[in-house]
Amino acid sequence: MKIVFYLLLTVSLSFGTVLDDYLANLSKEVKSKNSNFEGFDAKRGEVIFTSTHKGKKGEMISCVSCHNNDLTQSGKNSFTGKVIEPLSPKANPARLTEAKTIDKWLRRNFNDVYNREGTAQEQGDVLTYILSKD
Amino acid sequence: MKLLMFLTLFLTLLSSEDKYSSGLKPTKKGVAPVNNALYINECGSCHFAYQPGLLPANAWEKMMGNLENHFDTDASLSQEDFITISNYLKQNSAEKNMDYKRSSRIVNSLKGRQIPDSISQTPYMIEKHNEIRPSLITQKEVKGIFNCIACHTTADKGIYSERDIHIPNFGRWKD
Repeated sequence: MKIVFYLLLTVSLSFGTVLDDYLANLSKEVKSKNSNFEGFDAKRGEVIFTSTHKGKKGEMISCVSCHNNDLTQSGKNSFTGKVIEPLSPKANPARLTEAKTIDKWLRRNFNDVYNREGTAQEQGDVLTYILSKD
Repeated sequence: MKLLMFLTLFLTLLSSEDKYSSGLKPTKKGVAPVNNALYINECGSCHFAYQPGLLPANAWEKMMGNLENHFDTDASLSQEDFITISNYLKQNSAEKNMDYKRSSRIVNSLKGRQIPDSISQTPYMIEKHNEIRPSLITQKEVKGIFNCIACHTTADKGIYSERDIHIPNFGRWKD
């Protein structure tokens, strides 16, 4: 029985992408605190992504300020002017392929725009929004 | 006319270039180019990947000590990347590259002064840029003095020569 379990686990792990696993972990975290949680929502993610807030620099910014409204297009760091490759994995296959990098940018960018870290639900919603765009 | 040219040349030599040259004449121009992929990837994803030879080790250490508030942006790194990048900056900082002209000038300009918070706050950098009209620096194509590559077209190779300067909406710069 145990062998079958491990076999299934291996198969499922080899089919799941990094992002699937990442979202599954976030979902588990949300559920542990909120038993009514019904899954991530691209609409909520869109509000998180497009709404404007007083950021870390004290200026009003949103994720869109640097990433653009069209996630298949490249954006520009609004402070330094440096070009940012498209966020959508459909336009930029290298996006969202490494858990460490996803961790880093969610942490940094929530701090930059919201002046605080994002909750597990917010992070999952915003990732779901990014994935929904093509 | 010739006299005027020589006079200009003479005055140029007397400026910051000469003021910050020390006994040992640097044998290489510019600064040592960046040669660390992680550094380019991590630091260069938000801004120009400044050569480590543009600041002394104590200034890099000061900057790396506050990455959560890096010029009011969160630039925090994972522990392992933080260590790799800190070591790279420390091992290739300006005072270890005194054979490069720009590193040597920067180090000499800092003598007896406090640790700078940025490359653009070093006396050498301030003096080298003080004749440029502020509007040319703040214009949208440049944004600020931090954006080396906006005007120094060969900055990514560690070369900051006058003949490679092209200021957007102005053109070539001649001292």
